[in-house]
Amino acid sequence: MLDPAPESSGRAGALSATLSSPAPDVRLLTVAGEVDTLTAPRLADGLTGLLDDERSTPVVDLADVSFLASSGLAVLIHAAHRATGQGRALHLVATSRAVTRPLEITGSDRLFEMHSGLEEVLTGGGSGPAPRGAD
Amino acid sequence: MSDMDRTDPGGPDGASVVEVKTAATAALIPTIRAVASDLAARADFDLDAISDLRMAVDEACATLVDIAAPGSSLRCAFSVHDERIGVEAEVDVAAPDTTVSTDTFGWRVLQTLADEVELVGAKDNGRPTIGIKLDKRAAALPR
Amino acid sequence: MTAADPEYGHLAPLLEEYAALGPDDPRREPLRDRLVTGFLPIAQHIARRFNHRGEPLDDLVQVATVGLINAVDRYSPEKGNDFFSFAVPTISGEVRRHFRDQGWSMRVPRRLKDLHVSINGVVSELSQGLGRAPKPSEIAERLGVPVSEVLEGLEASEAYRSSSLDEMLSSEQGSATVGELVGEADAELDRVDFRQALRPVLNELPERERTIVMLRFFGNMTQTQIAEQVGISQMHVSRLLAQTLDRLRNRLDPDTRTG
Repeated sequence: MLDPAPESSGRAGALSATLSSPAPDVRLLTVAGEVDTLTAPRLADGLTGLLDDERSTPVVDLADVSFLASSGLAVLIHAAHRATGQGRALHLVATSRAVTRPLEITGSDRLFEMHSGLEEVLTGGGSGPAPRGAD
Repeated sequence: MSDMDRTDPGGPDGASVVEVKTAATAALIPTIRAVASDLAARADFDLDAISDLRMAVDEACATLVDIAAPGSSLRCAFSVHDERIGVEAEVDVAAPDTTVSTDTFGWRVLQTLADEVELVGAKDNGRPTIGIKLDKRAAALPR
Repeated sequence: MTAADPEYGHLAPLLEEYAALGPDDPRREPLRDRLVTGFLPIAQHIARRFNHRGEPLDDLVQVATVGLINAVDRYSPEKGNDFFSFAVPTISGEVRRHFRDQGWSMRVPRRLKDLHVSINGVVSELSQGLGRAPKPSEIAERLGVPVSEVLEGLEASEAYRSSSLDEMLSSEQGSATVGELVGEADAELDRVDFRQALRPVLNELPERERTIVMLRFFGNMTQTQIAEQVGISQMHVSRLLAQTLDRLRNRLDPDTRTG
C-alpha cells in the first residue's frame, strides 16, 4: 500500500507534465521541473495529449519550469505548429527568466499566446477562452 | 583542444579556471550547467547572460554527449575573465571522422546564446576528440 | 452528482438557473449562497482529507470553499459534464495550491523568502532603467545588501523551484479526463494525502534516505535503478526503504496523532 509508484512507468526524471481541465473549455498541461534533452520527451508526450483534445483551448503552464533547453524549445515549437494546423493558438504561461529568456532570445515567443499568469488565461484575457455563458 | 589541459590555474590574463570532468552521460549535464550558472552569477554577469550561459553550456554538453565514445568522459573547463567566461567542452569519440552537425536547431540556438562558438576537432594522445569552445560576455545581448 | 443523488439532486436545477443568469442579475447573490451552502459538504470533505498536515482545518475549509465558489461560478451545465466531476478537481486544486504556497514558505527560511521577494521587486524596475537585465551587484546596491546575499537569494529561488517536491504537488491530477476523475476522486485524494504527508517526514530524514525515498516515490525509479544512482547495493536500498517506510507509517498512523 505504501508503494504507489508502478514499476513499469520508468524513471520520471526531474520533470512532471500533467493534464487537467481547470475550466470547462480549457485543457491545461502543468509542467514542473527542468526541461532538457533527457526530459523533453516527457514534455512532448504531454503536449501530444494536450492537443489531441481539439475542442478546448490548449494551455501550457510553465511557471514552475526552472530550465528550458533547446530540446524543450523544439518540442514547444513543434506543438505550436500542430496547434496552428488545427486552426488555434497554443497558450503559454511563463513567469521565470529561465523560460522567458530562451523563448525571447530565439524569437519563438511569437509562435505562442504568451501569458504572465494562469488567471489571465482562465479569466479569458486577450484571445483566451470565451467567457462563461457566451455561447 | 588538448591545450585545455595546459591552461595555467592563474591563466595568462589573470583568469581563474574551473574544470569539471564527468562520465559522458546526459544525466550529469545538470551538474555542469549548475556550475556554469554559479560561476556567471559570481562573476557578476547580468541575469540574462547568466541564463544564456547556462543554456549554452547545456546545449554544448548535450551535443557532445551524443557523439561521445562509449564509457568516455566529458571534460568542461571554464575560464572566468573580468567581463567574459570562456568554456571549452570536450569528449573522446570512437571514430576519427565523427562530426557535429551544425545545421541543426540546437546549434543555431547555441550561436544565438553565445557571443562566439567554435567546433574543434583534435587528437589527444592519439585519441580523436571533439570539442566546442564558446565565449560569453558579462552583459547579454538585448532581447 | 446525478439527479438520483439524494443529497445533491435538488441542487441541479439551481445550477442551471444560476448559469443562465446575467452577471448583474440581482438573483445571482442569493442563489450562489444557496448553491455554495448546499455543496459545502463536498468542500469540507476535501478539506478534511488534507487535515493533519500542519495547516489548521479551518483554513483548509476556507480555501476549499474558495475552490467551491470558483467551481460554481465557472460551471457550464450545457457542456454536458456533471458538476461533481468539475468541482472535485477544482476544489482540490485550490487546496493543493494553498499547500504549495505554504510549503514554499515552510521550506525556505524566512530571510531568504523575504530576500527573494525583494529581488523580484527590483529586477523589473532595474531592467527598465538599464535597458538590460541587472547584475547581482546592481541588485545588491539597490537593496542595500551584500552581493553574497543576492547570490544566495537567486540560488534559493532556482533550487526550490526545481525540487521534486514541488513537482509532486503539481502532478496529482494525472492525465485522467474529468470524467474519469469522478470515480477516482477518492483514490486520487488518498494519493495526494500520502505524498503531502510525506513532506514533513522527508525533511527529518538523513540525506541519503531522503534521496532514496524521493527517487522511489517521486522519480518512479526501481530499487535497482536507485542502487545504481546512489552507489549502494539493491539489498541495501531495499533495507533502507523498509526502515524509512516504517518510520513513515508511524508518523502517518492517525491513532498516534492528536488533533
